[in-house]
Amino acid sequence: MVLTPARPRRMWGVTDQPSANLYVPMIAIVQEIIDETPDTKTFRLAFEDKEYAKSFEWEPGQFVEVTVFGAGEAPIGFASDPNERSFFEITVVERGKVTRAMHALKKGDKVGIRGPFGNCWPLEDMKGKNVLIVSGGCGLAPLRPAILQILANRKEYGNFLLLYGARTPADRNYKYDLDAWAKRDDMQVLETVDVGDESWKGNVGVVTTLFDKVKVDGENTVALTCGPPIMIKFVTLELLKMGFSADRIVTSQERYMKCGVGKCGHCCINHVYLCTEGPVFTYAQMKELFELKL
Amino acid sequence: MSYVLTTCGFCSCGCAMYVQQENGKVTGLFPSENHPVSNGRLCIKGWNATPAILGADRLRKPLVRRGEHLEATSWDDAINYAASALKKIIFESGPKSIGIIGSAKTTNEECYSLVKFARSVIGTPNIDGACRFYDASLIPALLETTGTPGSQVELSAIPKAGSILIVGSNVMEQLAHVGSRIEDAADNGCKVVAIDPRETRLAPHTSLWLHPKPGSDLAWIRAFLKIIIAERLYTKNAPEMPGFEELRASLEGIEISQLKYSCWLEPAEVHKAVELIASNPPTIVMFGLGALQQPHSTEIVKGLANIAILLGGSVMTLRGQNNAQGACDVGLTNDLLPGYLKLADPVARKVWELVWNCQLPAEPGMTAVEMLKACESGTLKALLIFGENVALSAPNTQATLSALDKVGFLAVSDLYLTETAKIADVVFPACSFLEKDGTFTNIERRLQRVRKVLEPIGESKSDLEIIAMLGAAFGAKMSADPEKVMTEISSSAPIYKGQSFRQLDEEWGQPWVPVGSEAKLAPIEAVTKDSEGEYPFYLIASRINFHQQTGTMTAKSSVLAREYPETFAEMNEADAERLGIRPGSSIRIISETNSLTRVLSVSESVPKGCVHVPHFFGGNSPNALASYETDPVSGVPIYKAYAVKIEAVR
Amino acid sequence: MKKDYSILKKSDVPAFFASLANEMQLIGPKQLFSGDVTFDVIQSHKDIYWDYGHVVYPPKRFLLPHFEDMFRYTCDQEIKIEPTCNPQPQAIVGIRSCDVAAIRFQENFFSYPIVDPYYKEHLNNTVLFNLVCNTPPKKECFCICCDSGPWLESGFDVQLTDLGDRFLYEVGSDKGEKATEPRAYMLLPATPADIEARRQIELQADSRFQTVSYVAKAINFISADEVPAKIWEDLGSTCFRCGACTNLCPVCTCFTVDDREESDGTFTRCRSWDSCQYAGFTREASGHNPRPTFGSRVARRFYHKTSYQYIIRDGRHGCVGCGRCITACLTKLGLPDVVKRIRREMHEFLPPKEKAAEV
Repeated sequence: MVLTPARPRRMWGVTDQPSANLYVPMIAIVQEIIDETPDTKTFRLAFEDKEYAKSFEWEPGQFVEVTVFGAGEAPIGFASDPNERSFFEITVVERGKVTRAMHALKKGDKVGIRGPFGNCWPLEDMKGKNVLIVSGGCGLAPLRPAILQILANRKEYGNFLLLYGARTPADRNYKYDLDAWAKRDDMQVLETVDVGDESWKGNVGVVTTLFDKVKVDGENTVALTCGPPIMIKFVTLELLKMGFSADRIVTSQERYMKCGVGKCGHCCINHVYLCTEGPVFTYAQMKELFELKL
Repeated sequence: MSYVLTTCGFCSCGCAMYVQQENGKVTGLFPSENHPVSNGRLCIKGWNATPAILGADRLRKPLVRRGEHLEATSWDDAINYAASALKKIIFESGPKSIGIIGSAKTTNEECYSLVKFARSVIGTPNIDGACRFYDASLIPALLETTGTPGSQVELSAIPKAGSILIVGSNVMEQLAHVGSRIEDAADNGCKVVAIDPRETRLAPHTSLWLHPKPGSDLAWIRAFLKIIIAERLYTKNAPEMPGFEELRASLEGIEISQLKYSCWLEPAEVHKAVELIASNPPTIVMFGLGALQQPHSTEIVKGLANIAILLGGSVMTLRGQNNAQGACDVGLTNDLLPGYLKLADPVARKVWELVWNCQLPAEPGMTAVEMLKACESGTLKALLIFGENVALSAPNTQATLSALDKVGFLAVSDLYLTETAKIADVVFPACSFLEKDGTFTNIERRLQRVRKVLEPIGESKSDLEIIAMLGAAFGAKMSADPEKVMTEISSSAPIYKGQSFRQLDEEWGQPWVPVGSEAKLAPIEAVTKDSEGEYPFYLIASRINFHQQTGTMTAKSSVLAREYPETFAEMNEADAERLGIRPGSSIRIISETNSLTRVLSVSESVPKGCVHVPHFFGGNSPNALASYETDPVSGVPIYKAYAVKIEAVR
Repeated sequence: MKKDYSILKKSDVPAFFASLANEMQLIGPKQLFSGDVTFDVIQSHKDIYWDYGHVVYPPKRFLLPHFEDMFRYTCDQEIKIEPTCNPQPQAIVGIRSCDVAAIRFQENFFSYPIVDPYYKEHLNNTVLFNLVCNTPPKKECFCICCDSGPWLESGFDVQLTDLGDRFLYEVGSDKGEKATEPRAYMLLPATPADIEARRQIELQADSRFQTVSYVAKAINFISADEVPAKIWEDLGSTCFRCGACTNLCPVCTCFTVDDREESDGTFTRCRSWDSCQYAGFTREASGHNPRPTFGSRVARRFYHKTSYQYIIRDGRHGCVGCGRCITACLTKLGLPDVVKRIRREMHEFLPPKEKAAEV
C-alpha cells in the first residue's frame, strides 16, 4: 500500500462553514496563555458560540486562520490533543505583525477563527507500523497532536521514537511534555540543541546527529517530520539512506498564506495549493513538485 | 465612481495615472496609456501608491506640544500657537532668526507660496528646499554650463540616443521609466557606458561598465575631458565655444596613467569609454545622486556638462523627489528667485519685490544644512519644515536630532507623525497629492497637473492652505487657490510663461523652454582628498526600488514594506573573508561621526574596498554616518563615498 | 443552449441600452483624456465609446475589484462583524472576447473546489455583452493563439459583431437570454447575408494578427521543468518588479488581505490584487523565501500560465492573448516574448532528431 496524507473529515469551506461567508471568522476566547520559549507562546482557545464549539472537530496536521482584531490574520497549526473538545491550542512564534499582536493578547481577549484547513497526518494508515518523529524548533507544534493521538492509541502502533532539536535549551517547546514523554517506557525521546549551556547535559548538534544514536527499521517505519526547510531536507536525505521509501517520509510544509481556501495564491507550489491540498505531503508527492527544489 | 487623472508623487519621472474613488476610498488605479511618460506602465511604487498614502495612522488633526506630549487641537489654535511663537521670536531676535525648509514632494504652488511667505511675510532670507539634501548642486553647475538647470531632453529622446553616459544612478530601481527607455535604446544599438562603483541591474544593457573608486569622479571626468580635447573628439564648433581655452588650460598636467591609482580605472578602459560615447552621437550624459552627493559635486556636474557640450550631446539629470525640478524652478532655494533669477541680480530682485510687495536682500540666506547648524548654535530660534522628514534625510542624524531638539520653536507639516514631527512644537496635518490640486514638474521639465481625487483625510489641509492661514495670522493675504497661484507664478517667472491650469486640462503639459542661454564650457580644477588608514572602506549608500522619501509613505504600504523587511549591508566576498566575517553575521559600520549595525551579505556587484548600505528607514539609515561637511559651492552634504571602517559585532 | 442569430440595428442601440439601464448599471468603454479609454459606469448610451481599441485596465475588476472591502469590524469589547459586499446588477457592454474568456477562467477558479462568495456574488449580478474584434485592436493582440478571440464559440452571455450599420446579436447563456428577453422586440432575425458577413470576418481573422505566440510549444518545456534555471534567471534579471504583468492580466487572481483602520476607529478587512512577481509574495515570517530569485518568480508566472497541470485543473491555459503584459511591462517579459525566447533557447538543448521534428 502506498501511504498518502489523510483527507480530513472536516474542512472549512467544504464541510464546515457556519456563516454565509467563508472569509468571516468565528469568535473564540483566549482561555489560557502558556509561555513556551522567549519568543513562543501557546494559546488555549474556546469558541464563544457553545453550539459551534461542540460541533468543532479537527485532526492532527490541520490548521486555522487566526484573526487578531485590529492587526490581521495568520495561519497557525493546531497544537493540542485532538480528542479534547472543549478547547484547542495553538502555538505562536512572535515574528510578524499579526503574531506580535497575538503575543500582546491577554486571557479573556477575543480572536477570530476560521478553520480547520488542510489535510492531516495519515495516522490511521500508519497503524501497525513503527513511528519515527523528527522535529525542529517550533516544528514540534503541528506534530504534538499526532504524538498525543498516537499515545492515546499506543497499542496500535509499533516502536515510537521522537527526535527533537532546538536552537538552545531555552528554545525547547513543550518542555513539560518532552520531560514527561522521556519518562515513558512506551516511547523513546532523544533531544539535541544547536548551542548548549551549562545546564544542558544532552546532545549538542543538529537534529540529524541524533540518527547515529538510534536504530530504526527503515522498512517498517513511517517518519513524520516538521521543522525549518533546511532541516527537512537533510532529515529526508538521512531517512532515504536508512531505507525509508519516499511515501513513508511524511512532512508538513510551511508557506506564507492569506485565505486558507485556495484562492489568494500565496501558498501555491507548482499547481498544488498547500492550504487545501497540503500542508502534509509525503516525500513521494513532494518530489513531483519541482518548485520545492528538494 | 469616476476616474481622476493625476500625476504620481513618488519619483521624478512623473507618470500620469487614473485613480478611482468611491465613498472616500480608492477603488482603482491604472496608468495612462497615452501619456508621454507612463505609456501604460507604472513601477511598483506607482501601483502601490494609494495604500502608502492613505495609511491608518495619517495625521487627522493639528497637534501642539503641551509639556512632554503632542496634543490634538483645532486649526485656529495651532495656527495661533505657531504665529504667536514666531511673532515673539521676530520681536526678540528679528526675522532672520527664523529658518524655513520646504520639500520637493509638494506642488509648485506650495513651494512658491512657501518662498513668498518666507521672503515677504516673515522677511527671512533663510528659505531652502529639500533639494539641498539631494541634488541642488546641479543648479549652479548647469546654470554656468548648459544654461538649463535640469534635463535638456525629454525621455522620448533616450531610445534614439547613439550613446549614453550614465554616472552614479541605480536607474533601473530609482527611475523605472528612464531605465526602461535605456533598455530600449540599448536594443536599438545605443552604446551605454555606465560609471558606478557598484554594478546594478543596468549591467545587461551596457556596452561598458567602469568601476571607479567611490568619490573619485572628478578625476576621471577630467581625464575624459582631457582625452576628448587632446584627441579632438569634440564637435566641430567646440573650440569656438566660450570657455574652451579655460577648460583646456585647467586640464593641463593630468596624467592618464595615474587613473589606476586615483580612480582604480585602467587607462585603456577610460579611452574605450570616451571613444564609445564620442563616436556614437547623439550622446546623452545622465547623472544621479551618486554623482550629486559626492564631495565637490558642483565641479562634477560642471565636468559632466562639459562632456555633453563638447560632444554636442545633452544632459539629463536623474533627480530624486517627484517635484525636485519644480521646487527649484519656483525658487525654493536660498540664493535664487523663481525662474532661476539670482538674488544678487538687482533687476530680478526688483521684479519680485514688486510682485511680493517687500524688500529683498541681495545676500543669500542659509542653506538647509547651515540652518541645522544654526539651530544647534542658537543663531536660529525657529525652524519651519514643510513636508520633509529632515530627521532622517539630513546627514549626521545624531547631530540633526539634537539641533531640532534645541531650536526654540519647531513647526512641521507632514502626512504622518514622522521622526521630525515627533519632536516638533506644532504639527500641521498635511494632505497628500491625492487630496489636492496643483502641479508637479517632472525630470523633463514637464509641468503636469495634480488633481484632487479624495477629500482630505480627517482635518488635514494642503500646505497651500496651511501657508495661507499662517500668512493671514501675520495679516498677509495669500491665496489658497492653486490655480491663482500658478497664474501668479507664470505671469512673473519667464520659464513658466503661458502655463495655466486651463491649458493643462486640455493637453499633457509641455516641458518649459529655457530662456536665452548659451552653452558655455567651464574650467574644471583638480581637487585631491584621500582618506585611508584608519577608515579603509568607502561607503556606497543606495536607495532601493520599494522606498522613497525616507519611507514616510512607502513604508505604510503592506506590499512595499514586505519587499524589504530587513536591513543588510553588502561587501565583496574577498573583503569579508579578509576581515574574517561570515555572511549573515552582524557588522558595525563606523564613520568619523557615527556608526550603525547591519547584517552582512556578500555580493560580487560591490567592488573590493567598498561597503554597500541600502537605505532603510526607521533609524537605521546610512545618512547617520555622514557629517555636516558639504560641497563648498552648493552646500549639498556628502552622503556618498565617505570613509568607514568595519567591525564584526559579537 | 440554442444558438440564435439576431440583428440589433445601430439605430436601435440607444433605445436598447437605455432600456437595459433601467434594470442594471451599465458599464462600458469610456473615453477619458487624450485618447485614454477605460471601462466605467455609463450614464448615457452616448458615453459608450464603441470604437475603442483595447483598454489597459482589465474589466476583471468589476468582478474581482482592485481593492475590495470584505467586511468591517469593531474592535471594542464586543466584536461586531458587518458584511460590506453588496453588489448591484451590472451589464458590461462592449467588453472584448478575450476578457470574457478570462472571466470564464476566473469563474471556474473561484468556483472550484471551494466557492469564493465575493466573486460569486459579483458574477451572479453581471451579464456580459462582448464585442467581436473585426480587426485586432492592437498589434500586441494574440487571442487567436489562445482560443479566446477574436470571437467566442461559447461562454459568452451576449455576443455582438459589428456589421456596419448593425450588430449581429448572439445569445449564449441563460443570463444573456434573461437580459435580452424584455427587449427582444427590438431585435430582427438575421438574414443569410448577415451570417455570411460574420463568416467572412472569421475567415480573415487569422491573417490579421501581427503577434503570434507558440504557447503550445512552450507548454511542454515549462510543464516538465525542462527550461534551465539559467534562462529563467536571465529573463528575471531584467524584471523591474513592478507587478504590472499580473495586475493587468485579466486571468490573474492572486490577492493579499490587509486589515485597515478607518477614521471612525472601525477596521476593514480589504483584499487587493497581489503579484507573484514580488519577493514578499512568498517570503515567510521566518525570513525564508521559497522563491528567492527573480528567475524563480518569472518561472512561477509562466508555469501558472502554461503548465499542463493548470490546464487540466482550469480547463484552459492561463493566457487569453490580450497582450496587456506586453504593453505594461517596463522590459520585455510579455508572454509572447518569453515564450519565443524559451523556444529559441530550448532549441539549443534539444537533440538533433527532435530539432528536426520541431521544424
